[in-house]
Order: sequence, then C-alpha cells, then structure tokens
Amino acid sequence: MSKPHKASNLSTLTMLYLALGAYGVVTLMPFFWMLITSFKIPADIFRLPPTFYPSKLFSDDPFGNYSEVLGNRNFFGYFLNSLFVSTLAATGQVITCALAGYAFARMELPGKNVIFAAILATAFVPTEVTIIPEFLIMRGLGWIDTYLPLIVPSFLVGSFGTFMLREYFASLPADYGEAARVDGARPFRIFLTIYLPLARPALVSIFVIAFINNWDELLRPLLYLNTPSMHTVPIGLMSFVSEFEADWTLLMAGSVISTLPLVLIYVLCQRYVLQGFAGGGVKG
Amino acid sequence: MVSARDLRRYAPAMLFLLPAVAGLLLFRIIPIIWAFALSFAEWRIFDQVKWVGLSNYAHILSSPVSLQVLGNTAYYTAIYVPGVIALSLALAVLLNNGLRSSAFFRGAFFLPYITSTVAITLTWRWIFSTRFGLLNHLLETIGWTDPPAWLADPAWALPAVAIVAIWKDAGFFMLLLLAGLQTIDPTVYEAARIDGARPWRRFHTITLPLLSRSLFFVLILALVRSTQTFEITYALTNGGPNRASTTLSFYIYQNAFVQFDMGYASALAYLLCFVTGLVTLINFYFRRRWVYE
Repeated sequence: MSKPHKASNLSTLTMLYLALGAYGVVTLMPFFWMLITSFKIPADIFRLPPTFYPSKLFSDDPFGNYSEVLGNRNFFGYFLNSLFVSTLAATGQVITCALAGYAFARMELPGKNVIFAAILATAFVPTEVTIIPEFLIMRGLGWIDTYLPLIVPSFLVGSFGTFMLREYFASLPADYGEAARVDGARPFRIFLTIYLPLARPALVSIFVIAFINNWDELLRPLLYLNTPSMHTVPIGLMSFVSEFEADWTLLMAGSVISTLPLVLIYVLCQRYVLQGFAGGGVKG
Repeated sequence: MVSARDLRRYAPAMLFLLPAVAGLLLFRIIPIIWAFALSFAEWRIFDQVKWVGLSNYAHILSSPVSLQVLGNTAYYTAIYVPGVIALSLALAVLLNNGLRSSAFFRGAFFLPYITSTVAITLTWRWIFSTRFGLLNHLLETIGWTDPPAWLADPAWALPAVAIVAIWKDAGFFMLLLLAGLQTIDPTVYEAARIDGARPWRRFHTITLPLLSRSLFFVLILALVRSTQTFEITYALTNGGPNRASTTLSFYIYQNAFVQFDMGYASALAYLLCFVTGLVTLINFYFRRRWVYE
C-alpha cells in the first residue's frame, strides 16, 4: 500500500472536482428529493415545473406529514418491529459467527474443514433456490405470522461473518490462549475473556452489516407476516403505496423514517461498514 | 467408534459449531436438496405432489412467457453489468488521485448501497413519473421535448430498473476497485509519466492490466447480482407494464408465492442457479486471456 500520485496541476484538479461533484449530485439528489417531498403539501406534488420549495416546513405544522405517518399510519409500530427484528437477527449472527469462526481457527475437530467448505460453498447458492423449501419448513414449524422466520435464519447462517472471523481469530497469537490453558482456564472462558474482546472491530462490522441487511429485508416479511400490525418498515411502505398511491408527501415521510437509521449507522460507523464490505461482505 | 476420551476432547468444538451447523443443515443443505427434488414435481401447495420428471424444465423452455422472462433477464444483465462496471471504475479512478476530499466523496458514493432499498426505490418511482417527475423535467429542460414514459412504457421499464440498480450498487463495486487500485505501486505511474505517457495511455497500459484481478472479481459479482433483482423490481414496476420488466428472480417469486406453483418455481430457481454457475465457469475459463497475474 502506498499513497497514489497527487494530482497537482490546476486544470486537472478542476476537471477532477467537476466530475466528482457532478456524480455527487447524482448520488445525493434522490435522498434530497425524498427529504424535500416529505415536507411538502399534496398540492405541491402536481406542480409544474417541480418545485424544490418545502412549503409544509414553513407552515404552522412543519412536521405534519411525519406525525401523520408515525401516528395514524402506524409507522412508529413498524419502526419498532424493524428495530426488534434487526437487532435480534444481527446479534444472533454475531454470536453464531464468533463461535464458529473461533472453532474453525483455534479448536480441534476432525472434519471441521469439510464443514467450513460446506458453509462457504452453499453461500453461493442463490436465495431463489433455498427460499421455497425454507418457506415450507417455516410453515411446517408453524412459524408463519411470527417473527421467528425473520430472525432464526439470519441468527444461524452467516457465511461471510464466519469466514471473516475465522481469518481474524487465526491472525491472533495462539500464546495468549496457551498461557490461560496452562493456568487451568476452560475453552469457553479463553474464548470469552481473551479472544472475543480482541475481535471487537470485526464483530462490530458483522453486526452493522447484518443489521443493515435485516432492516432492508423485503422478501421474508412479505412471505411470513400477515398481521398488519406486525409489519416491518419495508412492507409497511409497500402496503402504503397500494393504499395511498398518490400521496407522495406521506410516502416520502415514511421513506425518510425508514432510511434515517441506516444513514445514521453509516455516518457513525463508517469505518466498520466500509471495511466490512470491502472485505467481501456482500449484501443480501 | 468415538471413544469417551475423544468426546471429551472434541466436545467444546462441537458445541461451538452447533448453531452454525444447525443453520447450515436447516437453511442451506436441506433446502438445496429439497428444491432440487421439487423441480421434478408438479405441486401447488394444497395439492398432492405429482412427480413429472423433466416436464417443468421442458415447459420453461417452451413457454413463451418464460422465454420472454429469460430474454428480459439477459437484456437486464446486458445493461447492468457493463453499466455498473464502467461507472464504478470511473469513480474509483477519480477517487484515486490523492485528493483530500476523496474520503468525503467515497462516503457519499457508497451511501446508496446501504440505504433502505424500498424507500429509495419508491423515491425513484416518483422521480421517474412521466408528467410530474424530476427526471423528465430535467430532460425537457436540456431539450428532449418528448422524454420516455419510463415505468409506464414497456420499452423503458426494464432500463429504469437497471438505472436504479446501477445507481445503487456502483458505490459497492467502486469500493472493491479502489482497494485494487491502492495496491498498484505509484512509481510505475511515475516512470510512465517520465517516459511521456498521456493519461489515457497510462490508464490503458498500467491501470487496466494491474487492476484486472479486481475487475475479474467485480465482473463475477456483478453478473451474479444481475440475475437476482427482486426488491427494486417489486417496488419500482412490480414486473410491469405487461411483464416487460419481469426478470427471472421476480418471476420465481411470482410463481412460488403468488401462484403457489412450487415445482415450477423450483425448476426456474435451479435454471437460474445453473445458468449463473455456467457463466461463472466460462469466465474462469477465459480468465487467463485477460487477467494479469
């Protein structure tokens, strides 16, 4: 790794900034438009040319769309449901991946490499294949219309996280554990008190990525949740579309609410998010 | 047989692996086998299972609807893969110039990838609106007097899905390519500069070959991803108008969970898996032709 050559001459720099700025606008404009629209009144929506003026924001009820969406349209409930499901699903994935990654890197078991290879190989089979039997399994277990089908698969399956943590634990010195073992510490204690704290950056990356993926999940809630009050934010938004197709102001307020936590996590934990994804963490 | 001593020795590892192995069996291996078996059956969820051999597969290859869907998928791939690779490569090269503000732009370009797919896709749906949308207003301003109806036009609905997907994923591939670019030794560029190589030539003869391993990885990932478009289609066009933007992944969903035709959907899913695998293998075969080791 080394520093790339610095662009120095003025016309090159201008060109660079123009190009970066132009794509910056393309990237951020939809977010900006979502935000602006959530502060409009319905009459602004069908104005030509489209207006950037958020008229509701300067009325006597600036957050009216938000209170409508959160209160009367039950978005506060959807939000809490999503928070509950995503937190449990991501926490579970961290636990499963940490235990498995540690076992693969540091413990002995005949055939463990076969299991590891199976975990990696099956990760390449598309969801389209596994989702149909998964649905049948959930139906057989009587888990339809509960949160279990949204939590348990994410809890128990984390190929990328297992891979990442196996590498991580293998890169830590074995001596620490040896010393503790000689002093009579049990394997679980060694894992919990010595190695797990050292793996914190990797654990945070895995948690954050799993949280984002679960927050964003559309297919599983669509298949498994029937009761409207149990909806998560993405299907809450979708049912909103079919009911109030034209009311884009409310729809965009709902969209802002569902986007905000992810943007917040991204801004606060950007390092972990980027490292996790650059390390090969694939979304979805 | 396993002795008591062995059991004591391996018990900790077995306990540690218990959740992961349970997940592997229950949500990977059993479903993979089960779906394969189902692909040879005719089964609507409340009926009896009827074994029909290869007839699901034969039906896929003879039904005009599924052929249209396969065609749509190929068309989508043909837009998405070159589009997302060209864009992410351009962004990565732009960011790799040692500018102080690179971190800010990198952060901004990656944002669409981690954002809520349904929310941002609905925003795009509004941007694509024929009469009141931001995009067509912009196009009219720059002189396109009769811009497309986008989501309402069968010819433009699928490209619209691809545009949103490219916009959303470019930041992710950019990140992978940026990591590749940063492994290139800057003295190579320095030497080329001294020899008088112009920027385009430096890009062509240094960046591309030295980045080819990352590009290969990106190509494979982009190809796989292009066959698995569900969320954006669902929220943007719902496969329409008139099935014009229905790609394989979405069609599998419709067959399995709208028609509950589990056998046919499983066959479609295995076809998707098979084609993706084949394309990946072909790419690995041609790898040494252009990937510089």
